Amino acid sequence: MILFFLTSGLFLGWSLGANDASHIFGSAVGSKMVTFRKAAIIASVFFILGAVIQGSGTSHTLGKLGAINAIGGSFTLALAAAITIYMMTKFALPISTTQAIVGAIIGWNFFTGNHTDSTTLEKIVISWIAGPIIGAVFAVLLYIVVKKFKNSARIHLIRFESYIKTGLIVVGAFGAYSLGANNIANVMGVFVPAFHLKDLDLWIFTLNSSQQLLLIGGLAVASGIITYSWKVMETIGSNILELSSEAALVVVLAQSLVLFIFSSTGLSNLIVKTGLPPIPMVPVSSSQVIVGCILGIGLYKGARNINFKILGEIGLGWIISPVASGLLTFFLLFFMKNIFGINVGSKVESISNSEQTNNLSMYGQNDVSGIIKYFLLGLLIFGTIGMVFYVLLENKKRREMQRSEEKFWKNMK
Amino acid sequence: MPVFTRTTKNLIIKIDEFFDDIDLGLLVFREGIKAYLDKDIDAFHRHLQKVDNLESNADRLQREIENEMITHSILPQHRSEVSTLIDELDEIIDALKSSLNEINIEMPDIPSSLNKNLISLTETSINAAEELIPAARAYFKAPYTVREKLLKVYYFESETDKLSFSTKKIIFQEMNELDLAHKAHLRYIIHHIENISDLAQKAADLLSGMAIKIVM
Repeated sequence: MILFFLTSGLFLGWSLGANDASHIFGSAVGSKMVTFRKAAIIASVFFILGAVIQGSGTSHTLGKLGAINAIGGSFTLALAAAITIYMMTKFALPISTTQAIVGAIIGWNFFTGNHTDSTTLEKIVISWIAGPIIGAVFAVLLYIVVKKFKNSARIHLIRFESYIKTGLIVVGAFGAYSLGANNIANVMGVFVPAFHLKDLDLWIFTLNSSQQLLLIGGLAVASGIITYSWKVMETIGSNILELSSEAALVVVLAQSLVLFIFSSTGLSNLIVKTGLPPIPMVPVSSSQVIVGCILGIGLYKGARNINFKILGEIGLGWIISPVASGLLTFFLLFFMKNIFGINVGSKVESISNSEQTNNLSMYGQNDVSGIIKYFLLGLLIFGTIGMVFYVLLENKKRREMQRSEEKFWKNMK
Repeated sequence: MPVFTRTTKNLIIKIDEFFDDIDLGLLVFREGIKAYLDKDIDAFHRHLQKVDNLESNADRLQREIENEMITHSILPQHRSEVSTLIDELDEIIDALKSSLNEINIEMPDIPSSLNKNLISLTETSINAAEELIPAARAYFKAPYTVREKLLKVYYFESETDKLSFSTKKIIFQEMNELDLAHKAHLRYIIHHIENISDLAQKAADLLSGMAIKIVM
């Protein structure tokens, strides 16, 4: 039963992979500097690492917005957010999981009669506005620096492109890590307080309850990246503005920096030490940041070649997604509670429901941990076999091509 | 990762070698024409053989460059333009080879009074193509300077047209001792030489557009 409740979170993770994670490599793939296959593998691996190592921080902010106190409630609002994102993805509109999940949490607050913390909401909404603006400023500054460097260093175009290509992979990996740390809370944040799993010993290291959930979420995101992110990558990379290779690097770097700023407690502490106010640890909407970055470069270049129609569609998506997600959550919660009789949560003061939740989660903890352990083992074995097979196949292809070339030139002589 | 492989270095070397071949081909063609006009047929054959070798090598390099760019996904956004540029430059060395071959087969009888005009025509036409090579090299290292370098290509091309016009006028209006077939044959040879600067101009037009695109 517990695993069934988790499925909506996995679906949400898949949607996040198809949408938000694609923003990291969208410009690189759109400008054809990095192949989709390479981008998908790097984004998946680093997203999972970011989620497991550093992902529990930002879930705190969402917890403050609405403390979901029943697994049924977590399931329903994750499902509502996932359906919203899936529908938007169907129309190839880049939307933010943050907005969908925030809309869903507010919908849950309305349904259960809980108060929505206006300060936290304000912080999140400000980040929605500040994210793309900071992204645009970073993108323009970095673009100027890269252009100046390119012109003054007189590097051969092919060598410069190879640096850019390497940069795109390195920065993309950093961006995927930051996105995992920042946005995994959107997928699994609503489940973390409701689940209490046994620690999982993986011989080299041990994963606690929340890390196990974040790992499952990360794997769901990875499946979304691999199976469905291609369409969104094409929209981001090619349709808004024709991106040059250096612009593609700048966009990814600016976006990664914005994500890093909003998820690094170390940087925030450093800023506090200098006497400035702390940076809020808020899950940032990567969709808005990437559009801000691309728009910034477009405006710097003269705004002649920006596809404003697509920008308008994206803007419409930003308004529709939280509203649609909130309304859908409200109606789904109504059906879950009144037709299926599932406890979807109540006012935070109620203690009996929390106890009920804990009992339910304790009941299934051994099963879930065991399944995760065997699943990871299977994944490791299949991954290794797949990698060896891939390397052998690539080598065979290269040898055949070399043979064909040699034959061609021999015949030419 | 691309930065750790030798592919980039090899490709840069191959592109440079390709440009060297074209440059050298132009030099040898000029010497070949001079040798023919001086009636030094042995030297002419030597130069013809050299151009033939350079053309074969340029063909091989062109194929390898295009293959490597596709296989290793190098310059994805500029690949087709770079390939077209290399193709256009290859056409120049192809034209050099075919022109010398035509002369070798047809052995045109060129009156010595035309030697000066033909040498001057060859020099100017070859100059147009020679000025293209530094511009093509600059596209990869300093695209800002490409357009100023191309100015010389356009200048020499227009000079070639003028020289070709005046030489043909001399042949058809002043050299009454030649029969019409002979005159037509000489015009044909002039067209061959003139064609080199036309091909250089065609490549310059392409390069000019490429430079704007990369600088923007």
